[in-house]
Amino acid sequence: MENLKRLFETNRAIVSEITSKDPEFFARRAGKQEPHFLFIGCGDSRVPVETLTGVAPGEMFVHRNIANQVRSVDLNLLSVLQYAVEVLDVKHVIVCGHYECGGVKAAMGSQSYGLVDHWLAGIRDTCSRHEQELARQPDDERRFRRVVELNVLRQVYNLARTPIVQGAWKRGRRPMLHGLVYDLQDGLLKDLVLEIDGNDGVERMLGTGRRSIGD
Amino acid sequence: MTWIESVVRRLQRPMQRATPSPQAERLLPTMRQSWRADVPGSAVVFLVALPLCLGIALASNAPMFSGLIAGVVGGLVVGALSGSQLMVSGPAAGLTAIVVTAIAALGSFEAFLASVVIGGALQIVLGLARAGQIGRYFPSAVVRGMLAAIGLILVLKQLPHAVGYDHDFEGDESFVQRDGDTTFTALEHALHATHGGAIVTSLIALAVLILWDRTGLRKLRLLPGPLAAVLVGVGVNALLGLANADWALSGEHLVTLPVIARLSDLAAHFSLPDWSAFARDETWQFGVTIGIVASLETLLSLEATDRLDPHRRESPSSRELVAQGVGNVASGLVGGLPVTGVIVRSAANIDAGSQTKLSALLHGLWLALAVVFASTLLNHIPLAALAAILLYTGYKLAHPKVVRAVWAQGPPQFVPFLVTVIAILLTDLLHGIGIGLATGFAFILFDQLRDPCFTVVSHSGAVLRRVQLHDRVSFLNKGTITRLLEEQKAGSRLELDASHCLYIDHDVLEYIGNFRQIALQRGIDLRLVGFKFPDEPAT
Repeated sequence: MENLKRLFETNRAIVSEITSKDPEFFARRAGKQEPHFLFIGCGDSRVPVETLTGVAPGEMFVHRNIANQVRSVDLNLLSVLQYAVEVLDVKHVIVCGHYECGGVKAAMGSQSYGLVDHWLAGIRDTCSRHEQELARQPDDERRFRRVVELNVLRQVYNLARTPIVQGAWKRGRRPMLHGLVYDLQDGLLKDLVLEIDGNDGVERMLGTGRRSIGD
Repeated sequence: MTWIESVVRRLQRPMQRATPSPQAERLLPTMRQSWRADVPGSAVVFLVALPLCLGIALASNAPMFSGLIAGVVGGLVVGALSGSQLMVSGPAAGLTAIVVTAIAALGSFEAFLASVVIGGALQIVLGLARAGQIGRYFPSAVVRGMLAAIGLILVLKQLPHAVGYDHDFEGDESFVQRDGDTTFTALEHALHATHGGAIVTSLIALAVLILWDRTGLRKLRLLPGPLAAVLVGVGVNALLGLANADWALSGEHLVTLPVIARLSDLAAHFSLPDWSAFARDETWQFGVTIGIVASLETLLSLEATDRLDPHRRESPSSRELVAQGVGNVASGLVGGLPVTGVIVRSAANIDAGSQTKLSALLHGLWLALAVVFASTLLNHIPLAALAAILLYTGYKLAHPKVVRAVWAQGPPQFVPFLVTVIAILLTDLLHGIGIGLATGFAFILFDQLRDPCFTVVSHSGAVLRRVQLHDRVSFLNKGTITRLLEEQKAGSRLELDASHCLYIDHDVLEYIGNFRQIALQRGIDLRLVGFKFPDEPAT
């Protein structure tokens, strides 16, 4: 209970600090939300993306799940994606992974964690696709990092293949897809692939990164 | 029949269906089959046409004979060339005003004939240029309004004739009559100048018509109701003469065909156009007016006749213009009034049960023969009996059932219909049609303007309003598009998707193209999808 109490106390403290400088801060943002970004990230507690990027309330629409997966049967993600693209008209969709991701690690190992094994099947798939490339990595640490990156690129590709994104691209070069990875050690975001705004962009990603995502 | 035969027959059936035209045509009457109906029908049309030809000539300040020539040409020449099965052509009340003006302005009837020839030639050109297509654009409500108005006019204008007040010329369709009366004051005058014999004759003739229509007598094809009514009318008048000479109809109450004693006298009634008149601009101006007005009246009559045709046959309209043109050239060359398709005679033709154009052709022949051989006989026909026929035809054209049917189709149909009826009734056919057409087109325009021409495909709360344009965006939709773009506020996002468009009007496209700059200035996020602007290469 102590921890929970702290949440409320901190909440009040932060709000009063903000409103003392700008009394209308929250009221102004309570209206229509018109965010520019949809962020698809991992649920990991060590990735406080809003804090790290400094986005204000109303600027970023967020969806998080274990190991930032984009699966074509995930009703939750598809609802978020459709709402963001077709109703909120977001300009950027970001898939963001992070090194030292527990989900990726679990997928690489052979230990069983229950239901989540099903969820992570896609990552095991990615690993087997890139078996040769991963085998060339000098050590386990590098291999782990590479799988995290490959996973992000794979999800960007999956995102591009959804009818929602395909339909939007047919009408214009919106939304742009981006693949990022976050480094827990230094707190920095690194870009893997940026500004994919059409199937030509996907081709380019596959071309330069054919080895990377192996199609 | 063995089972093998029945199987073979069943197999053959689709083959027969593959060639539907002979079968379909078999359903339509041919002259060979329907002469039994067409010959008596032609007699009815002839009897109705006779006083109309004379009356219209009278009203046109033209020789009596010119109306008859036009009637004969309308039957024989136009009838032979026309593609319409039921429309009758002849001199038209709608042209009398123009004819009177033209004869007065050109100075002689012969000079006027030159204009008729020019008008005919113009109609041939119009027909060859396929201008008959215009007829397809007469709004249905206006054509139906015209029919109902003509029905009402027939009833109102024939009532005086039916009671023996034969002041106005037969076939008048204008509100303000030549004798200074209007349609309604004439009715009032007629009430004070009734003729007992006429009332008796018309009532009995009307009774005969109703009897024929409501009983098995209708099936007597050789003696259709109108013909019976005329015969009974002549008989009644003869009997009245025997009983009481005061009641017998004579003089102006009877058909008055000029009597030609000898065949050699006939030639004197024909006249050639004044060839020198072709050198004058005025002749050409009147020629063009006649050509255009006669073509319009013909196309309207054609639409109306096709509408009344029980077989719903569609007449070729451009061919009709050529036929009418040849008819007018012919009529003008021999001293006749201009001809057009005429509704009253066509409606009487249909009412009499005619099936093919044999009846229109023969009515011309009867007119020709009557003038030469039967004028004394025909001069016994009381106008009251003919009035009964036209009253009944008028009643059918303006039947409350017709009005109710249009009413049921709602204001966009009923208002132009009603305006057409009232306008024709209070002016004349041509002016009334003009007013009716303007109203009809206004409603069509209004309907087109209300056409949304786009669908909003985004969700109702969406930040981006996505609008998909329909397959056709016409000039009339410009207002809707302008409103859509103008109502966008700064900061709003709008996507216009033209990828489903097969056609966008040039002006609309230009407006949207120009709005891109305005959108930038106003801070509107306008996204155009699938547009091909003429000033930039397609991507």
